[in-house]
Amino acid sequence: MTTAGWIFMSVSVLSVLSLVSFCVSKVLLRAPTE
Amino acid sequence: MSNDKEQWGSRIGVIMAVAGSAVGLGNFLRFPGKAAENGGGAFMIPYFIALLLVGIPLCWAEWAMGRYGGRHGFNSAPGIFSVLWRNPLSKYLGALALLIPMAVYFYYIVIEAWCLGYAWNYLTGSLMLGKNPGAYSDFFTTFTGSAEDATLFSSTIQPALIFIAITFLVNFIVIYRGLSGGIEKFCNIAIPMMAVCAVCVLVRVLTLPANPNAPDQTVINGLGYMWNPDLTFLTKPDTWLAAAGQIFFTLSVGFGVIINYASYVKPKKDIALSGLTATSVNEFFEVCLAGTITIPAAFVFLGATTLATFTGSPFSLGFKALPNVFAEMPGGQIFGFLWFFMLFLAAITSSLSMLQPVMAFFEEGLGLKRRGSTLLMFVITLMGTGFVMYYSKNLNALDAIDFWAGELFIVVLALVQAVIYGWVFGIKLGQEELDSGAELKIPRFVQFVIKFVSPTFLIWILYATLTATISEGPAKGSLKIVERLRDPIQLAGFSIVMGSLLFLWVMVFFAGQRWKREGRA
Repeated sequence: MTTAGWIFMSVSVLSVLSLVSFCVSKVLLRAPTE
Repeated sequence: MSNDKEQWGSRIGVIMAVAGSAVGLGNFLRFPGKAAENGGGAFMIPYFIALLLVGIPLCWAEWAMGRYGGRHGFNSAPGIFSVLWRNPLSKYLGALALLIPMAVYFYYIVIEAWCLGYAWNYLTGSLMLGKNPGAYSDFFTTFTGSAEDATLFSSTIQPALIFIAITFLVNFIVIYRGLSGGIEKFCNIAIPMMAVCAVCVLVRVLTLPANPNAPDQTVINGLGYMWNPDLTFLTKPDTWLAAAGQIFFTLSVGFGVIINYASYVKPKKDIALSGLTATSVNEFFEVCLAGTITIPAAFVFLGATTLATFTGSPFSLGFKALPNVFAEMPGGQIFGFLWFFMLFLAAITSSLSMLQPVMAFFEEGLGLKRRGSTLLMFVITLMGTGFVMYYSKNLNALDAIDFWAGELFIVVLALVQAVIYGWVFGIKLGQEELDSGAELKIPRFVQFVIKFVSPTFLIWILYATLTATISEGPAKGSLKIVERLRDPIQLAGFSIVMGSLLFLWVMVFFAGQRWKREGRA
């Protein structure tokens, strides 16, 4: 695997993980108000 | 008019249900192949651009239209369209959002049954056939009946029929129980279970030692096969088309599902954050899990040259290449079971979502109760699936319906929805609907993206699909879509899809009469 491959994989995976963590945490924080 | 019919039990429930609809076989089998064949890591550039410019905005538009329709007493797309666009024709356009999930179900349920069958065969050890690629190819051919038509209906009961019967039964038992008691409860269990199965397989794959017969075939090099970027692919329009298409299909945009599911969300409840969350869950399964499991695992045991022959076909990758992988993988039997069981869960949460929009229409448009709509849907889908299973040679019938409903009409519906949202319903009302109860502020510019950018993308995809030509062979240069219709089974598949649309239009006519009598339209 090349350095560029590591970069592309890391950025992609971390971006998605960040997005899903942000969303899920906001949803779970709001859950008691349902 | 308030909607006092079915509603989601919880916010997490609707997110799980929409995510379940989106996460399917395409995440695990289509995405890795598309990425590997279109520049590897470089593919992610057009992929994420399409996600931001087409995927997420259109998802939000569907959520908004669906919830607006639900607030006005409609859960089916014909009804929802009739309040979005006060024109007698609008409900007939909405019929597309019934046709697509119904027709796709005809063949999707077959693939779902394959996954269950494969999972069972791993559990029993029947699919541990050793290092013998031909054996797995033969198993697939026999199991699916793809060698000849009607082989699944021979004098002896074929295993595939048993698994299809079980799959049908499970689908209809769950869907009969309704939205909250059926779909929501099922997805709340299935989605986490899918994640657990996938993570187990991921850990196994990432800890695989190098292939002792080919020391270069390591997991790291497998990840490289998937993720090393070839930026030259960015100059090819086909790469951008493939990325846009993948985003489109993976999020189930233009499927008729989100607009139906969103209609059951209570007024003044958030849909902005819920929509983004469901999308992000789908991306987690696609990019983080599928993107790091499928190709690396196959690479370690098959190598680059052999793998390249499988990446063009999701079926080949999933049902022929991967069994070779599990045969040689330490603990392959259990991981093979986990993998195919996970695919089964991914498929069933999607197939359930294909049933609900049509049944909702049968109930509110024709006045059927749940039992009646379930029975009617069962009969219709049995006939459609029967066609797919009978004409199983080369999976031709499956391919036919997949093209017309799952590739072409889906783009048409997405374009119709984007135009209705952006130019008829209006982005002002759309923004208001998204802002109502929102726990996430959606920037105003997203509305302009939906109005101008998304339709442009969709017209481009539609144009490319309609004008694609055959690149080699005796029919080189001919339009693919025309060549399709020369094949009798393809023509039959097209006829079934158009016949289904005609049937739905007739039903929509009667529904319209009913709604007029009830003062709803």
